Amino acid sequence: MYVIQNGTLYTMDGQGVIQADLRWENGKITEIGPGLSTQGAQVIDAAGKCVTPGFVDAHSHVGGISGRGPNTADVNEITNPLTPELDAYYAINPQDKIFETVIRQGITTSCIAPGSANVVCGWVVAYKSAGKARVVRRPAALKAAMGINPKGCYAARNQAPMTRMAIANILRTYLRDVREYMDKKAAAQGDPDKLPKYDLGLEHGIPVLEKQIPLKVHSYMHDMMTLLEIAKEFDILVTVDHAQGASDYLEELNDPHIHGVIFGPTSEPLFPGEGGKLDYECCKGLDDEGVPVSVMTDGPVTTVDLLLFEMGECVRRGMDPVRALAMVTSNAARIVGVYDRVGSLTVGKDADILIWSKMPTLAADAVLEQVFIDGERVYQKEEG
Amino acid sequence: MIRNGRLHDGLGAVSHQDLRIEGDRILTIGKALSPLEGEEVFDASGMEVFPGFVQPLSQWGVNGNMTEIRPSSNDNDERSNPIMPELDGFYAFNGRAATYQQLGAFGLTCCGVAPTDNNLFGGTIALFCVDGVNPYKMCLKRECGMMASVTPNLKRTYGARPQPPQTRMWTFTNFALQLRQASQYNEEADKPRDPKLAALKRVVEGQLPLFVSCDSGTSARQVWDILRDYPQVRLVLVNGFGLTGEENWIVEGKIPLLVRVPSNPLDEEAMALDLNGIARLWRQGVPVAFSGTYTNTLGIREDMLWNGIGMMKVLHDSEAVLPMLTSVPARIMGVDDLTGSLREGLRADVVIWSGNPLESYQARILRTYQAGRVIYQEGDEMRCM
Repeated sequence: MYVIQNGTLYTMDGQGVIQADLRWENGKITEIGPGLSTQGAQVIDAAGKCVTPGFVDAHSHVGGISGRGPNTADVNEITNPLTPELDAYYAINPQDKIFETVIRQGITTSCIAPGSANVVCGWVVAYKSAGKARVVRRPAALKAAMGINPKGCYAARNQAPMTRMAIANILRTYLRDVREYMDKKAAAQGDPDKLPKYDLGLEHGIPVLEKQIPLKVHSYMHDMMTLLEIAKEFDILVTVDHAQGASDYLEELNDPHIHGVIFGPTSEPLFPGEGGKLDYECCKGLDDEGVPVSVMTDGPVTTVDLLLFEMGECVRRGMDPVRALAMVTSNAARIVGVYDRVGSLTVGKDADILIWSKMPTLAADAVLEQVFIDGERVYQKEEG
Repeated sequence: MIRNGRLHDGLGAVSHQDLRIEGDRILTIGKALSPLEGEEVFDASGMEVFPGFVQPLSQWGVNGNMTEIRPSSNDNDERSNPIMPELDGFYAFNGRAATYQQLGAFGLTCCGVAPTDNNLFGGTIALFCVDGVNPYKMCLKRECGMMASVTPNLKRTYGARPQPPQTRMWTFTNFALQLRQASQYNEEADKPRDPKLAALKRVVEGQLPLFVSCDSGTSARQVWDILRDYPQVRLVLVNGFGLTGEENWIVEGKIPLLVRVPSNPLDEEAMALDLNGIARLWRQGVPVAFSGTYTNTLGIREDMLWNGIGMMKVLHDSEAVLPMLTSVPARIMGVDDLTGSLREGLRADVVIWSGNPLESYQARILRTYQAGRVIYQEGDEMRCM
């Protein structure tokens, strides 16, 4: 049992920002309030410090890409543009040292997706950076990709998709096939003779068509409008991942089929084509519109502390610092579908907790001092 | 004239003063200057006036618009021979491509272009403005130093072909050998002329600083041991990976450090960077400058600011960190008499911030001057490539 005393709690739920104590036991937050009893508890004095929920990275590949060289990207099966049957869970090495770096950035849950070489890439898993039970949600989404990644991978082999035309076609055909498969299953009414032949790839699409999980789609600039058209056509939920250029489409993205927008990574220059716009300001614009918005690392191959920098750059462009913090806590957890477990300091939720020297989305020199996952301390800053 | 601002001179001092720009220079800095007739006055009350950031080793302008009609658009990466000291980084720079990135909106006014870390000796480093067209007009200094690398990037580049270097033995042996041959080279007597040794002769004789990209503290020490035979060499240690702060030889030699941070957590050599170790060296008088990310062949426009923020998490002192982004890199590049600080007579490379960006993410850039010309002001449309 632990009690954090005297901290400023950024609860990221209806309680707002409060001065209070916080207690947890057996990995779950058990009480929040002033002057909590410390009997039997390890006490952490957080006077003058900021306490936030652990960060949720809404789009990452950590644990699935282990280093330099061929075949180290277990998360990206670049052999067929349609691989819905795959599952990012199998790509992840839970003992990958990268998780230590992930923890030092305050990320306690990552939404780990297959890479975006394929138009439909496979299932996505929400995964803790440490602990005994790492999987938070599986599947958290079905990953898909539009634009230059699938084009770039397959055009070089003279295979489809070589164009955005073909990408739209492949995506739409897949969703139609899933719907047909579901119709056949329903029509069979459990009669094994009438059931369609089992197809794992189509099975993986069923929760998307049933709106239990979103289609998580690599989409930049005008691709996100194509995506919206397809989302409406099939009445599915989609997340717009990367989303550079979203500031051009703020009103359009305020649509019930857009489950969330996950912006980034921004650690790059302007590129020709889909990377031509780096509009941090879209995050405030979307937030003002009421569209759930988050930022991402796209890890592991991006700058350390990128989530902090991305939130900070949004604050520089006028976003309220607490709203910026929401992008990697409550918003991200809702978008990933794990808000019942993480993303806020709320009684009953997992004790995934960060202690900062200062408010991390406002003070540039804020230092992360302690990280807890499921109530266990997994990082403590060294003195000096 | 910029009035009523808090002036951070980039050398460690801060004061409330006015600053008068005339043409491309800072003409006067003083308290309560009276506006001249017809003079444009910018009221910087409550604002912070910084020197522009100077990024010594960057990719700005190098990749063009990152695609060309044919391959090989990376003009600072001549991977045909690991020993190419006769090349000139100046020719890698495309002014319009740098300008297109609107670097002034990120507080940058100077960017250096160096050959990549893929060659043992890559060629000379040049320093440019960030906004313009003609590289000759944009260039502040053409031969700031010689770029060298003893990192495993050499092995990665050539080893697979297969071709040397495949080992660290080759790298360090040839580093020493080239310098020895250069020191013995006589341009008048030795025929035919050897352009490689002629270029390195200027390094050995101390006319041109030697920037050496090292992948570890051990590598840096091995370089230093080799250079003991050449006391005139002006070494700049690039990266700082693996330095703990206990390297007395760096302190005693006052060897400048050009720190680059990892661009990728899977890069184990870069992840050995410890800013606490760098800070310990800095406290002992070692000049420390930042220069973006290690072997990111693209570049991040926020690089210098984010580097500074990273160091703020260690030092918590913005006047200590600011020189690492401005005057110290300017000195390492040999342009401290031109830019990198706010002093009378220097180029007016000035950035007006709404707050201190090393302290608060709420600080915005209101206006950026490059040599007295406004290259960005708040409200300018940000480009889409």
